[in-house]
Amino acid sequence: MSELAVPREKLSRPLDAALIGGVCAAFAQHFHIPVLLIRTIAVIILPASMFGTWGIWFYLLVWLLIPPRAQRSSMALESAERAGMRAAGRKFRPIDLAQAGALALLGLGCCWALWLFGAVDPVLMAANGIQWLGVVLIWWQADHAASPRARETSWWRRLLYPLIAHWSTILVVTVGLLLVLVPDFYYQYLPAVRERPNGERTMIALVIVLFSVAVVVAPWIVRNRRELAQALADRRVSDARADIAAHLHDSVLQTLALIQRSAADEKTVLALARRQERELRVYLYGEVSAEAMLVAELGRRAQQVEDDYGVEVELVSVGDAPLSDQLRVLVKAAQEALVNAAKHSGAAVVDIYAEVDDDLAAVFVRDRGAGFDLGRIDSDRMGVRESIIERMERAGGRAIIKTAPGEGTEVRLELPL
Amino acid sequence: MSEESVDKYRVVIVDDHAMFRSGVKADIGDAVEIVGEGEDVASAVSTILAQVPDVVLLDVHLPGGGGAQVAKLVLKELPEVRFLALSISDAAEDVIGVIRAGARGYVTKTISAPDLVDAIRRVAEGDAVFSPKLAGFVLDAFSGSIEVAAIDEDLDRLSQREREVLRLIARGYQYKEIARELFISIKTVETHVSSVLRKLQLSNRYQLTRWASDRKLV
Repeated sequence: MSELAVPREKLSRPLDAALIGGVCAAFAQHFHIPVLLIRTIAVIILPASMFGTWGIWFYLLVWLLIPPRAQRSSMALESAERAGMRAAGRKFRPIDLAQAGALALLGLGCCWALWLFGAVDPVLMAANGIQWLGVVLIWWQADHAASPRARETSWWRRLLYPLIAHWSTILVVTVGLLLVLVPDFYYQYLPAVRERPNGERTMIALVIVLFSVAVVVAPWIVRNRRELAQALADRRVSDARADIAAHLHDSVLQTLALIQRSAADEKTVLALARRQERELRVYLYGEVSAEAMLVAELGRRAQQVEDDYGVEVELVSVGDAPLSDQLRVLVKAAQEALVNAAKHSGAAVVDIYAEVDDDLAAVFVRDRGAGFDLGRIDSDRMGVRESIIERMERAGGRAIIKTAPGEGTEVRLELPL
Repeated sequence: MSEESVDKYRVVIVDDHAMFRSGVKADIGDAVEIVGEGEDVASAVSTILAQVPDVVLLDVHLPGGGGAQVAKLVLKELPEVRFLALSISDAAEDVIGVIRAGARGYVTKTISAPDLVDAIRRVAEGDAVFSPKLAGFVLDAFSGSIEVAAIDEDLDRLSQREREVLRLIARGYQYKEIARELFISIKTVETHVSSVLRKLQLSNRYQLTRWASDRKLV
């Protein structure tokens, strides 16, 4: 069966495979059962419960509740369709007349059997049947009538659009209404009603007619609600698009303008481009994490140093951990090491590598710059001793600095977890 | 054709952004011979098959199936063509995907021209080119404890030495600095990196697939 290729999703009525409303086809495709089986069972059960009308009501209720399947084609095709470069319209599969005929005969046979057993009043059954036919006609029309294209039309126009779109629609709806309403008068002459007093009889007639009208208009109301929901969803999409446009405007466009203005200053241009790249990268590929994580925090600090000192900071990480107080100390120390490298080494690039496993977090900050004499850090670089080494030791970790004049510097920060 | 261009490496640039292609051409056009360009999978494959270059600079994201698809299709016909992935994407799964499809290295698009030329030369000579970023991705992919019973092949894990080399690359060390740090020769460093590349391409170890599925790669 070709329908089985359709990926399993929410229950929906495939109008192109429908005999009446597509209810049986919907169940068949959703649960991967042959549709003929479901139809046969339906045709036997529905008339059997006809005098109680439960089966038919069930069918109508399901028809209302399950939305018709949206006809999906590619974005380009839909766009071409909207632009009128392509004929719109649904492709109907020709109805299998033999199957429909056989099912109709089976249904009639069941009705006949009911009548033979005296279970129902044949005239009442016929009246009911005619009404159902009317309902089906109108509902079918509701399913297949095109949507109003213009969103700006007034609400009553939109509501009535399917009714007044085409003379055939009007004809079908009128015939359906007649089929539904005319048998209503017959119910006045049912023995149960006839014996009532006059006032009650009028009430009953009124209720029956109102009820019939309600049944007839039900699909229009449901459909209107669905279209409202669709409009809401459309708006959400366009809101998202506007957000992206706003973001591009605030970031990329501004940066491009700044770059043009400072085109002569190579260093500024480089810094601008670099920052924009980083920012856009986070926007496009960034993982959104509710929890503050070590690597994300290191990235922020690295970016800050990059902006403040005009050096390139290359961050590579393996593993990650939620940011604890201890790890915050590690981040602080790493930032200090980055600042030192940026300020004093003279190197254009600083590499920072973070590695987190089950029992150790390690951060390496490395530059290929001037380096310095470790023996002199007390007098020359208070920052190193205080803000890196002692900070790490207080947190229970350690800092190892490897450097020599002309050799570059590597600061290794370790923190047991 | 002048004399000196004979021993220049022949390079094809594959990228869907014409601006980037011309930028790279301007940057490295003196040092290598650009013999063709491709802007999507189909044009890239036909250009490469026609030109048979030494090295293909391959963008990771490409219309028609991405850089991995180009590498797969070409390597079926011409296994001797070498690919160097060049990308703006930080998505680990894409980068690892291209490497597993056969690329011999990965560098980011912000790489400087001399470094890019050097990377091309190294790939052309059969070595692997690992940027710090790629080293990080690979360590990540092979990290995690492995049950000893689950290891049936040498392929499934990195040796201690390989891990050390990768960590140094990730820390920003160059090959000669790694060699000095670990008291080995540069050739040995290159051997380790090539062997990591081979494991990355051939291994189907459990952890690697789990890593991939964690990142929705498979």
